[in-house]
Amino acid sequence: MRSTARVARAFAVAGALTLGLAACGGGDDDTSTSGGDGGGDDVVTVGFVAVGPEGGWRQANEANVQDTFTEEAGFELKYAPATNLDQRSQIDAFTSFVDEGVDVILLSATEGAGWEDSLRRAQEAEIPVILVDRGIEPDDTDLYVTRIAPDNYEVSTSVAEWAVSAFPDGANYFVLEGPAGVSVVNERNKGWDDTVGSAANLVKIGAQTANWSTEEAKSVFETVLRANNNDIQIVFAQNDEMGLGAAIAVEEAGLTPGVDVQIATIDGTKPALEALSEGRLSFVAEYNPLFGETLLEVVDKVLNGEEVEPYIIVPSETFDSPEAATAALPSRKY
Amino acid sequence: MSDLAARLAAGRGAIVRNQAFWGVIAIAALLAINVVADPGYLSVGYNGETGRLSGNLIDILRAAAPILMIAVGMCLVVATGGIDLSVGSIMVVAGAVSMELLRGMDGSAGNAALTLAIALGIATALGAVNGFLVSVVGLQPFISTLVMMLAGRGIAKVITGGQNTTADNDSFAWLANGYVVGVPVVFLLAIAIVALVWLLVRRSALGLMLEAIGMDSRASRLAGVKRRSLQLTVYSVSGLLAGIAGVFATASVMTVDVSRTGYQLELDAILAVVIGGTSLAGGKFSIGGAVIGGLLIATLDKTVVFLGIPASATPAFKAIVIVVLCLLQSERVRSLFRHRRALRAQSQKEAVAA
Repeated sequence: MRSTARVARAFAVAGALTLGLAACGGGDDDTSTSGGDGGGDDVVTVGFVAVGPEGGWRQANEANVQDTFTEEAGFELKYAPATNLDQRSQIDAFTSFVDEGVDVILLSATEGAGWEDSLRRAQEAEIPVILVDRGIEPDDTDLYVTRIAPDNYEVSTSVAEWAVSAFPDGANYFVLEGPAGVSVVNERNKGWDDTVGSAANLVKIGAQTANWSTEEAKSVFETVLRANNNDIQIVFAQNDEMGLGAAIAVEEAGLTPGVDVQIATIDGTKPALEALSEGRLSFVAEYNPLFGETLLEVVDKVLNGEEVEPYIIVPSETFDSPEAATAALPSRKY
Repeated sequence: MSDLAARLAAGRGAIVRNQAFWGVIAIAALLAINVVADPGYLSVGYNGETGRLSGNLIDILRAAAPILMIAVGMCLVVATGGIDLSVGSIMVVAGAVSMELLRGMDGSAGNAALTLAIALGIATALGAVNGFLVSVVGLQPFISTLVMMLAGRGIAKVITGGQNTTADNDSFAWLANGYVVGVPVVFLLAIAIVALVWLLVRRSALGLMLEAIGMDSRASRLAGVKRRSLQLTVYSVSGLLAGIAGVFATASVMTVDVSRTGYQLELDAILAVVIGGTSLAGGKFSIGGAVIGGLLIATLDKTVVFLGIPASATPAFKAIVIVVLCLLQSERVRSLFRHRRALRAQSQKEAVAA
């Protein structure tokens, strides 16, 4: 008897949950139809398949997109961040945007591969897809309208050029990468390798992933320092968070970041520029996240049926001294 | 004489059959590989200036501290036949609460203590919600803690507004980065907590009661074991320990990363518990084994970096080590290696049970 009561209670709970979910789904449908109706003339529905919380850079970028596509500007933005950077949840969100029939989809893919089927579905539904920041692999430009992003290759090349010019007598370097297989990581590696590879006196000690995380970067780099008797002069951290973690590891090993080990990072978030102005980092290459305006222009063009370039590069700056960082800090938005 | 020899043989058999023994062997093997790569690997230096011990072994102990916390909590939960998938998410909640509170305070030790109390209180409360769902509502532990695993990370994102939050407080950072008589505080705390938990469950009947629930919940109730309150306690304790782990993890860099802090660490905790010889079926547990499992995982993580194994090959390397270890732990596989001896009914039974 007791167990039947329990089963009944379980069903009641499950039923309540299902109802709740159905209600959510229903709500979505309502807004999408109204949005779809108005799509032609006034309100444009934009589905944004986003990455979600990942770091300061992503936060700035996605907030910028959300602030650009406002109701006042005549848009209804549907923001769908991934669950814990999981591609599966992104594909689900993408598919539901296609089914709803939004006017345009913005996509920041957490992983480059595996998007062909979803993109083809959008194509069949005649929904233009614009890639925001992250590219796809293989890079088939027929599957999307355009990609708007700062150029990873260019940005990491600028870091590599700094390393070559700052260490004319040679040095040992270590690379802290993002998760293996992500397109950003591949592009940033390529930009760095192509330039540093030609400088024979820069010796690669190794590369290891720290999953974009400060905590993991600290743990990884403390061990790397031990494994190499502290004989590392350059760290190329592929994002700010990992660079800051490496700086902590350097300090705990009794060395001075900026003197014994010089750390270069990509992104240019506020904490990184603060660290650069204190001399804990040595070089910060900005990867400009604030391109909402450009995105807005492109969306307008696409909806009016105009042609756009398949790849639009957003210009980025570099900061190579504490002074440059101090000067840039007051106006830093992210 | 023959009596002594037989007893020695029996003793050796007992050691070999003890699954934690193979965990120790695996740690030793990994350390040996590192020593081959660099003969100075095991050396522990003493820095007279800062009064700290330093070396790879010390790094491993520090890295192991958060894993030990969640592994011990998981161990108790598994003993009752349950599982706690939410430990990683409770870690990030504790971290988010701490960083968010400390950010708005000045860096005094009092504020650090207050923050610690609030963060651990919230972690315990989340654990208690798990316990309530399991013991009073009667949901499957897998489902209730899965819900908490998903909700926890969401709560952390709400607390920090979706951002990775940084704070400054030297006393709080000391918990993870400080040293007492040359030894990392974080490891001393972890060991002290583990010892406390061990004393509580093994020097009283508490451990036996937990095992009784895991073996047969009905029979234990008939024998007078208060299942509900014990389950509620066990999940709360697991939440508390996960909260401590979260504090350790975030205090070491004074940053909470809402999507990465504690991410998938519940799997590490389960692995540590299983390596330590605790059956996921419940009904028995070994805290010492969980500690060895936790140390093994930390050693493995550090070894991968020390050997410079390429990032893309890291998961495969870890998987191979774990699979080999599990094979060695399996009585059936070991007896296959011993060609001469036939598969005895006795060992067959044990292999099935394991």
